[in-house]
Amino acid sequence: MPTPRIALGWVSARLSEMLRVSLFLFCVFLAAALHAAEVAESLVRIEATSQEPNYKAPWSPGDVSSGVGAGFIVQGDRILTNAHVVSNVRFLTVNKEGDPKPYAAKVLYVAHDCDLAMLSVDKAEFFNGTTALELGDIPVIESTVSVYGYPIGGKRLSVTRGIVSRIDFQTYSHSGMDSHLTIQIDAAINPGNSGGPVMQKGKVVGVAFQGYSGDVAQNVGYMIPTPVVKRFLKDVEDGRYDRYVDLALTEQNLFNPAARKALGLTDDDVGVQVGTVYGGGPSDGIIKSGDVLLRIDGLRIASDGTIDLDGGSVPFTEVVERKFRGDSVQLDILRDGASLQVQVPLSEPWPFSLQSSAYDVRPQFVVFGGLVFQPVDQNLMDEYKPSNLRLEYLFDFFVEDGIYRERPELVVLSNILPDSVNAYAKDFVFSVVDEINEQKIRRISDVAAAFAKPTDYYVIKMVGTGRPLVLERKAVEEARSRILERYGVTSEYYLKK
Amino acid sequence: MIRLLVFLICLSPLLAADTPKIASPKSPIKHPYAPVEPSPSPLEDLESLEEGDALVSRKLAESSILRVNSTNQAYDFFQPWLKKSPISRRGVGVLVQGGRVLVTAELVMNSNFVELEKATTAEKSSATVERVDYDCNLALLRPNDPAFLEGTKPLALEKSLRVGGEATVLQVETNGEIAQTIGEITSISVGTYPLENLGLLLYKLRVPLQQRDGSFTLPAVSDGRLVGLVMRFDARSQSADLISTPVIRHFLESPAKARFPRMGIAFSSLRDPQFRRFIGLTEPGGVYVNEVSPHGSAAEAGIKKGDVILALDGRPIDQDGNYEDPNFGRVLFSHLTNTVAKSGTEVIFTLFRSGKLMKLPAKMQAPDRSHVVSEAQLADQPPNYVVLGGLVFLELSRPYLQEWGNDWINTAPKRLVYYDAFQNELPEGRGKIVILDQVLPVSETLGYEAIRSLVVTQVNGRPVRSLVDVAEAAKKPLKGFHKIEFEEDPKTIFLDAAAVEAHQKALIEQYSLPALQRLKGEKSR
Repeated sequence: MPTPRIALGWVSARLSEMLRVSLFLFCVFLAAALHAAEVAESLVRIEATSQEPNYKAPWSPGDVSSGVGAGFIVQGDRILTNAHVVSNVRFLTVNKEGDPKPYAAKVLYVAHDCDLAMLSVDKAEFFNGTTALELGDIPVIESTVSVYGYPIGGKRLSVTRGIVSRIDFQTYSHSGMDSHLTIQIDAAINPGNSGGPVMQKGKVVGVAFQGYSGDVAQNVGYMIPTPVVKRFLKDVEDGRYDRYVDLALTEQNLFNPAARKALGLTDDDVGVQVGTVYGGGPSDGIIKSGDVLLRIDGLRIASDGTIDLDGGSVPFTEVVERKFRGDSVQLDILRDGASLQVQVPLSEPWPFSLQSSAYDVRPQFVVFGGLVFQPVDQNLMDEYKPSNLRLEYLFDFFVEDGIYRERPELVVLSNILPDSVNAYAKDFVFSVVDEINEQKIRRISDVAAAFAKPTDYYVIKMVGTGRPLVLERKAVEEARSRILERYGVTSEYYLKK
Repeated sequence: MIRLLVFLICLSPLLAADTPKIASPKSPIKHPYAPVEPSPSPLEDLESLEEGDALVSRKLAESSILRVNSTNQAYDFFQPWLKKSPISRRGVGVLVQGGRVLVTAELVMNSNFVELEKATTAEKSSATVERVDYDCNLALLRPNDPAFLEGTKPLALEKSLRVGGEATVLQVETNGEIAQTIGEITSISVGTYPLENLGLLLYKLRVPLQQRDGSFTLPAVSDGRLVGLVMRFDARSQSADLISTPVIRHFLESPAKARFPRMGIAFSSLRDPQFRRFIGLTEPGGVYVNEVSPHGSAAEAGIKKGDVILALDGRPIDQDGNYEDPNFGRVLFSHLTNTVAKSGTEVIFTLFRSGKLMKLPAKMQAPDRSHVVSEAQLADQPPNYVVLGGLVFLELSRPYLQEWGNDWINTAPKRLVYYDAFQNELPEGRGKIVILDQVLPVSETLGYEAIRSLVVTQVNGRPVRSLVDVAEAAKKPLKGFHKIEFEEDPKTIFLDAAAVEAHQKALIEQYSLPALQRLKGEKSR
């Protein structure tokens, strides 16, 4: 099944590409009859001007583009919308439905891991005559919902209606790595619907955010349900967004009778087996591969990994989903036939997020002798699409094979600005840097530090076989200003996270 | 391992189109080393045909070329107890000395039945594949009817060739007429041969060939001598890849079981003046040794990573790895070690190591196959497997990965692709990579149906380095269970050993398995 992609109704090369590929986000407003009039007082049209960094020219501030999304007013004179509506934003205006006057707005909090953002408006008068919407609960399957937003096809508020088709975990395509509870509806959702409220009986039951393009699946739209929205609102109460916490482990079903017997379980359909416990994660050192998880915070875990929660069957990780940084979770486990109870403190979010799409960050890089060095992350891989087996291995198995233990960052020779100094370096492109002058390269700042030390030869050793790449100091110095000028390189490095 | 190294060599920029070529015999390059005379070959004593074109072709047709039809059937690596549907391949074979017919190995790969057919009379004889060598993509066929080749004449091999020379490709029309298409040699270089990815001397011929049946193996001749066998043709660029005569000669003159020798190194060019200064190299030319495969000819001789190879048997090697060949012009030096040298021949390397020049003799050897982790091809032999209670185990190989289709590098399971690609970097003694390929669902495997292509680490507590390990370990279940552990999730699964034992026959019947295992030629590691 294709991963849902998000697309805003705006004209950015990247988003239009996504749109083509598969999914759209929706920001739709419904003006349906009676409800529309009420919702109109809470609905906001958001115009965002953003600047997406160019990973192929990381010193460049990037192309400016603009797009339209939806949002709605919540308690405390705040506006809720999707993170992807306001990602990489430089300037933001909001309009109330029916009021032509644009107001400048600011992003207060953005949660890229659950695609939500909270905005404030500089002038308090904006909120005169508006109504804050209330958040409802999870709607029941087959019940009717209305989607409000500003999708393509016109400038005014648009409403579509559908029913709740499915309640399940789904990948949030904004980050591409996180999955949370998601509600699928069959209302038409299109680019521009993103961030708009999905209403039922006068309450918000979800935030429209992603869907499939028509050539992949028909009438499949997704909204972020209120447990996720409420969690976001609670998380930012302390003035900071702390991200989701996670057990950082994998688990397998335990249907097999022999496996159950071998692990000392009875035939009661309880328990899942732990596969991998990721080093550096919160469960590392507390839970082991092969342990059987029986209960989470006292709730029985079925052999397919589900628990009964709020009257429905959901993956047991939903318990962790609803927790915050600093909380802990209690697990009843069976290890080597013995029962024990453990507490897993959920102190830090998962530290190795290089496989998530990143936003609101400037790309880090070092330029030296016309060679461009960058840390590898999803953004870089998306931009260059390198076809290099070794790099692909290190990236794909970065977490699974514990590559992060040796290198918290993979630094790659991503690009060459051709000059006589680097005339023979072409074959090294997309190699991961192992050492520079015998200094182990564990992160991009190590590259900058290694090149800062004067020496006659800079010897750059790559991961894998092959000769080292060698640059003479004299040649590099001679070429320095020439390269910067010729290629318009405004800065030779950016190392801030 | 060695195969992979050579593969790397072939992919290296050394073979780029801009490799300097010195085509003119007036080339001012002189070196103090006497050129080595090619060793005389019995093939050269053969009479060659030197008449008009039409006559040549008729004479050839009657005396030296034959249609070859082969029905081939490969094994299905996803169901290793089965063969895939048979396919037919046709080609044109060349008669060589000793009453044998030379064809490409690809033509008769996994053959069930081979048939020779005289072009003019359509007279047929079945044939036996007497020798096949997947390194050089060549095979020798022997007609089962000893009288079949009476009145035929073997073809001599052309000795030397230059870029710009002409060659005529021969095809057989349905009516038995010989179609002749003249082409021009556009390059002579070491290139990758299919099947084993070994880098050997290859001619490229620009030739407007027509599509006729018989696209596997077409002889190319010049002045009545064999120039090479077409093994690949790209219709868009009208470019044919020819197995070259030195490779054919090496094959014909080697003992039946001998394989092509290999250096077992990967090297890179030394064009970069900054790098040359860094290593203190003032001599001209030379290539840099990046990697030395353990147990290879180079490793045995003491060649080390970081050495610079300056000359071979006194022939200077340029910065891209080429030497001046008396017969073919600028050619990568691996032609000398892999083809000119026979297995067991000693060659002398001139090396630059740690600022000093030195000479090192190296005995060129075919690689020791026992160290190969993932075989590049497994033609003509049924794949081994073990089925344990519905779990199908086999060993990682390139043909297994190729079952995912032409784009297998991107579509096969990533971990296995990486194991295959980087197998020469695995720790010594890693052994074979045993895979749980799939699960044939039975009651014992409930909950495991979705498992595919996992790397097995242990079975019943015993480390797994070969399929034999799996079979042996399966004899000793732990407390009544088979415990199978993997590198990736789900990490561990269990089977009820008694149930597996009791249901063996049912499993065989349910999935029509001929046997629960095949372990031909396997050794425990």
